[in-house]
Amino acid sequence: MSNPVDKKQDIPFMRTRGYFVFLSVLYILVALYFMAVKGFNFGVDFKGGIKLVYEFSEPTSDGSLREKLESLHLGEIQVVRFGSASANSFLIKVKHQEGRELASEITLQLTSSFGADRVKLLSEESVGPKVGAELRTRGLWAMVITWFLILIYIGFRFDFLFAPGAVVALIHDVIVPLGFFSFFHKEINLPILAAFLTIIGYSINDTIVIYDRIRENLKKLPSSMPLPDIIDRSLTETLSRTIVTSLTVFFAMGILFYLGGAVLHDFAFCMLMGVVSGTYSTIFMASPVYLLLHRLFPGTGMSRGGKRS
Amino acid sequence: MPESLKWKIIGTLLLILVSVYLLGPTLWNMVGVDEKAIQESRFSAVRKFLPQKGINLGLDLRGGMYLEMDVDLDEALKNRVDILSLEIERLAPEADYPGIKLARQNKTHHLEVHVPVNKKSEFQKIIQTNFGDVFQWINSVQNPSLPNVEDAANQSKQALAFLEYKLTGAYEKYLRDMTLKQAEEAVRNRIDRYGVAEASIQRQGADRIIIELPGVKDPDRVINVIRKTGLLEFRLVDEEFEQSKLTELIAEAKKQGGAPDGYSKEEVLQLNTFLAEKIPNDAEVMFEVERDPMTREIVNGIPFLVKKRADVSGDMLRNAQVGIENNEPHVRLSFNKIGTKNFGEVTKDHVGKQLAIVLDGMITTAPVIQSAILNGEAQITLGYGNYDSLLREAEDLALMLREGALPATLTIATKTVIGPSLGEDSIRQGITSLLISAVVIVLFMIGYYKLGGILASFALILNVLFLFAILALFQASLSLPGIAGIVLTMGMAVDANIIIFERMKDERRLGKTARAIIESGYDNAMSAIVDANITTLISGIVLYQFGTGPIKGFATTLCIGILTTLFTAIVVTRMVYDVFIYKRKITKVII
Repeated sequence: MSNPVDKKQDIPFMRTRGYFVFLSVLYILVALYFMAVKGFNFGVDFKGGIKLVYEFSEPTSDGSLREKLESLHLGEIQVVRFGSASANSFLIKVKHQEGRELASEITLQLTSSFGADRVKLLSEESVGPKVGAELRTRGLWAMVITWFLILIYIGFRFDFLFAPGAVVALIHDVIVPLGFFSFFHKEINLPILAAFLTIIGYSINDTIVIYDRIRENLKKLPSSMPLPDIIDRSLTETLSRTIVTSLTVFFAMGILFYLGGAVLHDFAFCMLMGVVSGTYSTIFMASPVYLLLHRLFPGTGMSRGGKRS
Repeated sequence: MPESLKWKIIGTLLLILVSVYLLGPTLWNMVGVDEKAIQESRFSAVRKFLPQKGINLGLDLRGGMYLEMDVDLDEALKNRVDILSLEIERLAPEADYPGIKLARQNKTHHLEVHVPVNKKSEFQKIIQTNFGDVFQWINSVQNPSLPNVEDAANQSKQALAFLEYKLTGAYEKYLRDMTLKQAEEAVRNRIDRYGVAEASIQRQGADRIIIELPGVKDPDRVINVIRKTGLLEFRLVDEEFEQSKLTELIAEAKKQGGAPDGYSKEEVLQLNTFLAEKIPNDAEVMFEVERDPMTREIVNGIPFLVKKRADVSGDMLRNAQVGIENNEPHVRLSFNKIGTKNFGEVTKDHVGKQLAIVLDGMITTAPVIQSAILNGEAQITLGYGNYDSLLREAEDLALMLREGALPATLTIATKTVIGPSLGEDSIRQGITSLLISAVVIVLFMIGYYKLGGILASFALILNVLFLFAILALFQASLSLPGIAGIVLTMGMAVDANIIIFERMKDERRLGKTARAIIESGYDNAMSAIVDANITTLISGIVLYQFGTGPIKGFATTLCIGILTTLFTAIVVTRMVYDVFIYKRKITKVII
């Protein structure tokens, strides 16, 4: 990078942006469609209900457990393996039912079917329906407030042309995994919501590093240099950092995914998607939006090559 | 070496020492050394010098129960109005106010009063003087639910005016706050008595109580002790109606009006609403329940018409103890002075009538009063069943009666029980992930950034050390998501170093001196690092506000992690570089 105006070493991100933005918008539309049509698989935390984890001393199958629980007429129940295959633990989920002590009923049924010392209740989680709905609202508010606060912070530290781009990238980073979860009907519970808020935190981290470089280059490079080229320069200059950091966090989350145990499994998975999306959105969402706003509102925002407005 | 650098080094070394000090208990807890053994060994003096507790493990790592309970404050308001109406009756007796009738509306806490027209303003003045800041008058439209009554004293039919009162806003708020506080106190007392170590009870919002019970052995029993209102009342049976007639009325209400089956509180309330016209105003229907001896489930209920007013109640108890007679556990009650007096009066005035013993809205027995009971002692029998479970029931009941009734009903909004083995597994998996992530990151950093990588790794280790130390210092709860937060923090902490190193690489390419490389590297990277971490901090803080339980633990470690990252990545690594510049006078920056 000896010659500041030498464009040849810069990767032409912005030139290809149309293609990627189109892909992203397409994905988002598809995701939104599925979210509207298929809805979400809200877990016990958000819908109310009971989640029980039992450990059995002998191998058994979810089919046989379901059979044993049929006589209780529990309605819609889910039985899945919990943890590794050798652990013989199963997760049972039942919707909330008025006036019944579901946890004790199920435990009683299983201990009488298998023998009291062959079944162990590892954990029990029960959430009333009112709390579930409350949590959903609060969760949504938490995300919206975070977006808003970040919008304001960036507006002040950079300028208000940068801010919307960052928030668009954040919304993108939440919709990407959400769409995935909706399509594959994966369960959304409290830790997943925490993962979303964390993804927002991580993604903005990434976006700001790029913005910071753009801000610096705007001042440093001559005003004759067109904005897309400045952005390309900034992205290329920070590319090594972006790759190294993304890989590091990706590996850290990957280890959590494999070794963190059943409880953190989905959380880590969500984070993995978030890390990838976060890096992508900074380049192909935040920057193009900034470019667009700059075209729509020329003359506002930071001044170039010297003093800051 | 400049002064400021010396201070930085000393400061950092001190912080490291303090951190190790704070983490002492945690370290030997992890290694498995027993607390007691240390206390008794020759290290006991040293032990006293170190902090009391190690890191506070959250429920999902320790095992235990987490409860969120809703407090029924509306019901508390209604109860209060009931008590106040008794006082009003005393101030405005039938003698002076012929035909006066007070009743609380069934669905709300509003009070309806029928008072002879000529006494209306007098009555209103009584309320104004004595209950001015409690009750406010709403209206006096001629649309009462109380029927017209003949005025016996005046030998003429007096027209009755109808007044409706409700609680003032200020008083209602005061009552709600106080009830919530009392409920919290009562729950705390019961849990203390029951004996759960390190229980945590807190209020949340306007009507919720959060309870954490680590390591609790019998969660359902504890819930019972917490939840059971423990409201004991002695009420006279209204003998105006015969049993058979009552049963008939109820059956009719169920068939025609769709009144509910079942004996729960809500269902009985609904039943009474249906029967409101047909039964006298100062009485209500309650059931004497029969329980299956094996499961203790309710199998049958005999209806009684009992007066709404309780002449003797649980708050007049001096003591409640478990007694065993004929191999049957029961609870023996001893009343205080007021209780003994009331009890004596009621039994003296109503010999031959039935007195219902009501526990939490259900009649346990309704014996006939044989003679006046003047010694203030009574018994509650529990029916038939297994000796051990009856004994437990008697013990829990006695505990509740001793501690006092809950001021309102508690319902469980959320309940999470984590068995201890799951907790141990979680710790193991969490720590393993943490260690392996750390190793992978360190190897990568050293491989890619060489000497700089070693420095970054050193900063990372300090980072995690400080993080844990702060957690221990504030006894903040570490949950499984919290450990995930630490893993995430490690990844993002490294990012700060990466930004700095990449920057230094750029500067080196420009051919600057070692010192200039380091200075401009750090200076230029600062804005990016600060902005990036503050925005992550924003999302962490929002998450902290929003989350409960384990999620809060995650937000806590995330936020603390950001702060420690800023310190170690910027201050500490810079400090080491500065030392190299001044002491070793390096000329090359190896990254």
